[in-house]
Amino acid sequence: MVFEFLKAFFIFGLSKKQTIKMAEKYVSIKNIKFLLNEVFDVASLNRFEYYQDYDKEGINMSLDAAKQIGDTYLFPIYTDMDKNKAYYEDGAVKVHKGLKTAIKTLAEAGWISAHDTYENGGQQMPFVVMNAGLFVFYAANANAAAYAFLSQGASNLIQAFGTAELKSTYVPPMYAGDWQGTMALTEPQAGSSLTDITSSAEETEEGYYKIKGQKIYISGGDHEATENVVHLYLARIKGAAVGTKGISLFVVPKLRNENGRLVSNDVSTAGIFGKMGQKGYVAAHIMAGENDDCRGYLVGEPHRGLSYMFQMMNEARIATGMIANAQATAAYYAALQYATERPQGRHLSKKDPNLPQVLIIEHADVKRMLLFQKAITEGSLSLLLQCSYYADIASVSTGEEKENAHLLLELLTPIAKSYPSEMGIHSVSAGLQCLGGAGYCDDFPLEQYYRDIRVNAIYEGTTGIHGMDLLGRKVMMHSGKAVKLFMAEIQKEIVAAQSSEFLKPFADKLAERLKAIHELTMQLIQVAMNNKPEVFLADATLYLEYFGTITIAWQWLKQGIVADKALQAELPEDDYNFYQSKLHTLRYFFEYEVPKTKALHERLASSDNLTIEMKAEYFM
Amino acid sequence: MKLLVCVSKTPETTAKISFSDNNSTFNEAGVQFIMNPYDEWYALVRALELKEAAGGTVTIINVGPAANDTVIRKGLAIGADDAIRVDSEPKSALFVAKQIAEVAKAENYDAIFLGKETIDYNGSEVGAMLAELLDVPYISFGSHLEMNGNVATIARDIEGGVEVAEVETPFVVSSSKGMAEQRIPNMRGIMMAKRKPLKVVPAVECEDFATVVSYSMPAAKSEVKMLDPENMDELVRLLHEEAKVL
Ligand SMILES: Cc1cc2nc3c(=O)[nH]c(=O)nc-3n(C[C@H](O)[C@H](O)[C@H](O)COP(=O)(O)OP(=O)(O)OC[C@H]3O[C@@H](n4cnc5c(N)ncnc54)[C@H](O)[C@@H]3O)c2cc1C
Repeated sequence: MVFEFLKAFFIFGLSKKQTIKMAEKYVSIKNIKFLLNEVFDVASLNRFEYYQDYDKEGINMSLDAAKQIGDTYLFPIYTDMDKNKAYYEDGAVKVHKGLKTAIKTLAEAGWISAHDTYENGGQQMPFVVMNAGLFVFYAANANAAAYAFLSQGASNLIQAFGTAELKSTYVPPMYAGDWQGTMALTEPQAGSSLTDITSSAEETEEGYYKIKGQKIYISGGDHEATENVVHLYLARIKGAAVGTKGISLFVVPKLRNENGRLVSNDVSTAGIFGKMGQKGYVAAHIMAGENDDCRGYLVGEPHRGLSYMFQMMNEARIATGMIANAQATAAYYAALQYATERPQGRHLSKKDPNLPQVLIIEHADVKRMLLFQKAITEGSLSLLLQCSYYADIASVSTGEEKENAHLLLELLTPIAKSYPSEMGIHSVSAGLQCLGGAGYCDDFPLEQYYRDIRVNAIYEGTTGIHGMDLLGRKVMMHSGKAVKLFMAEIQKEIVAAQSSEFLKPFADKLAERLKAIHELTMQLIQVAMNNKPEVFLADATLYLEYFGTITIAWQWLKQGIVADKALQAELPEDDYNFYQSKLHTLRYFFEYEVPKTKALHERLASSDNLTIEMKAEYFM
Repeated sequence: MKLLVCVSKTPETTAKISFSDNNSTFNEAGVQFIMNPYDEWYALVRALELKEAAGGTVTIINVGPAANDTVIRKGLAIGADDAIRVDSEPKSALFVAKQIAEVAKAENYDAIFLGKETIDYNGSEVGAMLAELLDVPYISFGSHLEMNGNVATIARDIEGGVEVAEVETPFVVSSSKGMAEQRIPNMRGIMMAKRKPLKVVPAVECEDFATVVSYSMPAAKSEVKMLDPENMDELVRLLHEEAKVL
């Protein structure tokens, strides 16, 4: 009897579910502070009047507060929002009960309005600090936090281009977390190609426009956690030119204000999409003007809608990169925790079955997978903050400094969006692999991260579209000025790193790859000049991957310079390990990721136009 | 109401703890500090709630070096009006109580709040000493507090139940869970914290009656032994010979 009990206890005690705790850590505030304070010295932005109140203490406190919000309101409902997903019933969209509090908390803590002016109720927070905070929220639970920051994007558009009346009517309730903002671009026939939008707008004598049309996949498009939904809606004014030049931007609320009362604005929800992941984050199918009573209020000038939208796209694209990277980061910490708790197998040199099993983190292959995740996520975060920093300089500086920052931001945005999104998928997959069977099962969050992260490479422009944007537009804009600036920025780090014995080989490697991609770019531009746009852009996605890897290598070198210097001093154990972890991960990136660019180079330099020549009929 | 809240710093809960000087000094290098949660979540927030309901001021006080200003700023970000730091290492509970008493005597606070203990040294001494030095009543481990005029009704959790006490201002109360809900500073608070007054005052003399001789860490957990679930004989042998529980 006793034996049976003990046996049962032991078997029970050995079951994975009981012995290994659920993920507890989802982000490293230490790493974010390292990047903000030591790598980017963001407190120095207070040389600009707009940011004069931000010092290191305030920045650190903002991050700590963000973490507390993540710990209290976001992370605890991450898996539950997946298990109790959003659903559509009787014309209404039901969402997780914790969502309302989460949105409200982010609003009241001042994060939705963070960058706006003090007069508008904002905190004049630098983009780089705000995005670091958003990264924490997204790592805790992107599916909840994204609702709040959609409202931020919608508010920004109205603040930038709307009338005083639009601003006072729509922005305060969005900043307060009471109304939901959305970006309503996509239609069934117009996804990547927004040229083909057919939603229509008819001017009325009352000053508003009558809107008609449907939008699909609208994130946050309808739900019960806020009182109203404000769509920033692209439509064509009747009679406008075909193509992108005929598209205008409208505010189309779900409920409109009539004599102080909110009444229906003839915007209905046909349903929400059943998705692979992000099951708590609604993507709705919206119908506008089915009863010919949907009012839209023009934002800015007629026919300039798409250009307005694109001015805000940089932010949205960086946010998408942030979300992807945050999810991959949370997945990394979950995998790391598992790897430090799961015993399995023995060292190859000590296979005696009488010896206890080792923790899987002892196995080289598991370390490789963890290093891969760390290299991708911490490298990507550095790039995302770098871009946010450029956004700050572009926003508050003047003259050449402003213009250069703007060009660098434009150039790097497709990478900041796509690299974390694409590589994040591989990173989460490696994290899932670290857990073996447990990674595939829903007792652990890895399978959810894997499903959730996937969409980032699709929305806000697919990777293919960003590849073409990078090679076809950004690389060539202003006669290649952005690329020249980019190379000069990297060169600065290469020079700085060459004086360190440890970093010199990596700096040399980066210099060599930089030269190679530069030569390749020249070769590709030649193809474009020969009037072969199809050939020129056929492998733009691969070019993006190549460019992305070089960019992240630069960010690793940048972090390495700081870590290498810090290690010259005597350090407490935690700090010593932290900086060592940076140098080891830098080594990993240069040893395992950078060499992959050679294969990409070979393919991109080849004159074999296989994908052009391959006929649709041959796919069978 | 004029309220004073005593706050101290404690190592962040995941910090690695080590000692030097023959185990008599706690090594602060590399340790991340936070505001003692009992001070922050319960004492400070309840004081702020009282101020919000009835008006008045909330001042926070800390005895410590300039490095503690970060913790003090957090208190200001959460909503305190101003702060005082007594510029000295907090050498002992009596030393701290003496410093706070010195400040409080000159200011006539209606009530002084502190956490029931710090989560590092777990002394739970300062409150009682402070009340004694000020010659005012002391209620420890308050888990609920209501003010009615100048009378506070304070509930304290006791073994198996609740004790309710009434006390007139001025008084000292130490706060435990239940007193209030944690508040996370918002961005406006964080930005305003920098502009709020933080007065630094020198410490007064205080005799030491006790000296810490040494600290020690709990014994490390012994390694887990993984056994084949079929090998019951080995399990029994280990439970008998090593764990000595059979
Ligand atoms: C969960 C979710 C949320 C979304 N949220 C929003 C939202 O809030 N607001 C909104 O407006 N939209 C939203 N979208 C829509 C999203 O932006 C589009 O799905 C995306 O732009 C791609 O469009 P599509 O789905 O029509 O794909 P398509 O454009 O049909 O693309 C299909 C494939 O063809 C490729 N392709 C297309 N055109 C070209 C080309 N010219 N050259 C080379 N390759 C090409 C693409 O790269 C892709 O691989 C969301 C989508 C999803 C899945």
